[in-house]
Amino acid sequence: MAKAQRATIQEVASLIKDGDMLTFSGFTIWRRPMALVYELVRQQKKNLHLFEVNGGTHTEVLAGGGCIGIWESCWVGHELYGKLGERVADAQVNKSFIVEDYSHAQAVARLLAGAYGLPFLPTACSLGTDILNPEYDMLKKAGKRDGSNPKIPKQKYVMYNDPFFDMGEIALMPAANPDWALVYAQTVSDKGIVRVNAQTYTDAEAIRAADKVIVLAEEIVPDEFLRRDPNRNLATDYMVDYVVECPWGAHPTGSQFFYDVDADFIRSFYAATKTQDGYNKWADEWIFGVKDYDEYLAKLGITRLDKLRANTMLGYSTRVKRGSR
Amino acid sequence: MSNANEYAKPGEYKGADLLAVAAAREVNDGDVVFAGTGLPMLAIMLAQKNNAPNSVCIYEAGSVDGRPLDLPTSVGDARCATNASIAAGLTEAFYCNLHRGYVDLAFLGGAEIDKYGNVNTTVVGDYANPSKRFTGSGGNPDINALARKTVFIMVQEKRRFKEHVDYITSPGWKIRKWPSGEYVPKQEVYGKYYRGGVSAVITNMGVFRFDEEGVIYLDTVHPGFTPEQVKDNCSFDLNISKCKGETVPPTYGELELLYKVVDPEGIFLP
Repeated sequence: MAKAQRATIQEVASLIKDGDMLTFSGFTIWRRPMALVYELVRQQKKNLHLFEVNGGTHTEVLAGGGCIGIWESCWVGHELYGKLGERVADAQVNKSFIVEDYSHAQAVARLLAGAYGLPFLPTACSLGTDILNPEYDMLKKAGKRDGSNPKIPKQKYVMYNDPFFDMGEIALMPAANPDWALVYAQTVSDKGIVRVNAQTYTDAEAIRAADKVIVLAEEIVPDEFLRRDPNRNLATDYMVDYVVECPWGAHPTGSQFFYDVDADFIRSFYAATKTQDGYNKWADEWIFGVKDYDEYLAKLGITRLDKLRANTMLGYSTRVKRGSR
Repeated sequence: MSNANEYAKPGEYKGADLLAVAAAREVNDGDVVFAGTGLPMLAIMLAQKNNAPNSVCIYEAGSVDGRPLDLPTSVGDARCATNASIAAGLTEAFYCNLHRGYVDLAFLGGAEIDKYGNVNTTVVGDYANPSKRFTGSGGNPDINALARKTVFIMVQEKRRFKEHVDYITSPGWKIRKWPSGEYVPKQEVYGKYYRGGVSAVITNMGVFRFDEEGVIYLDTVHPGFTPEQVKDNCSFDLNISKCKGETVPPTYGELELLYKVVDPEGIFLP
């Protein structure tokens, strides 16, 4: 079994080709592999095919950067810190990339099937909605379901009558097996064992479904340390291809027991994304205006980052002002 | 507080306070509640500290029965997992809990709703040529589909209460059977997976419920509004003939809990 290789952000980003299919760790504004996402924009990747259970700040960074060709997901926004995904919305309205909508549980079914090595999984979630309206199958409308791309299933879903217990009609969702899972985890061993803190979101499924896996870790620890509590580990070493040690690599999204969400940063990013010009100016400052992630962190400054640092017991910061009181 | 059980008078509370309180009263003690971000969080946390101490909250990012010390700002927040019985992921929340049938009550939001309780959180206009995109479905339609009851918490506006929503993101009482697309009762689509559906819609103006045909009607109107005013804020012909009177206002005790215990930082209640 090949073990995970150590690499830099620039190296792993250069392995991702235009048109590749990607998925991500995390949930909306938590535990996103932001340092790598910025580098993908810096390297000006094009036509990426995103399959993600939900989008978030990282999706907007890629959408504004002109990196996306297809976005298959169910949600995009910045939670309390930006109510819409403005760059994705703009792309959908102006048809600058293909948007294919699912529900959360349908997207989970696709990723789970991919992780289990099954061609599909059934779900009764979200039946009767316009998500299943055949007129709204945008990949089909674009002629992408002709079987020529092995990553795009020939049908969005199939209704199937349960032959075992007569439960009735249920939707079969095709597997998703992205080329890459881009993962941010709190801890990785020097051999590639992965551990995350608190909620696991769909990280375990993303790692298993993807053909290749890149993990950005807050810290790399000796293998022996993670083997002491194997029940707390999310994935084993041979599922991981590349490991990058990248402290603060999820900023401005949050990382349980390391740092909180940088709400002010996301708010100002969201304000900038309301126009493409606004995004471009933001990217000139925060992506193209710094040569790498070290410079990005230096620009943020220790005072700002320290305020986000998590309380050891609680796992989140007690020093950020979150509301009006 | 000596007057904790007394009702606050109009002007002593805000619209959002009554929304949260009215929603919290929909929780029965012991309910397993699956809640979305925002006011639904306030409602379940208030219920747990007041009328339904044994109710349980699931958030879709994977925390089961968390007992947050500080109010989460979203369902993936680290705060959701504090003192939880399980901190897992979406497979646990959506399949092992929801699909398996543990969820009694869903607390959700929406951008637009129609008279059958169908909710749109996806686009304005034809989906293939939309004029605006909202956030998208998230887990809203999954949770609403398979919980025994759903309560939607929404803003009352004429443009949001429509004869037909532009896109059915989340299933109400009359939905579409695919692939043909005919409108049929929810039960016909869900078959043996049918467990219930939208039971109430709570806005800043009133509380709505659904008749045997699955059509929305005004159940109570919030103090300070008339049923006619609510009707004027719907694009369809709202049935106000069954209105029972005024929504019970918050008590001073409930307001104290909301502002001092549930949201002391002023996150959702500035």
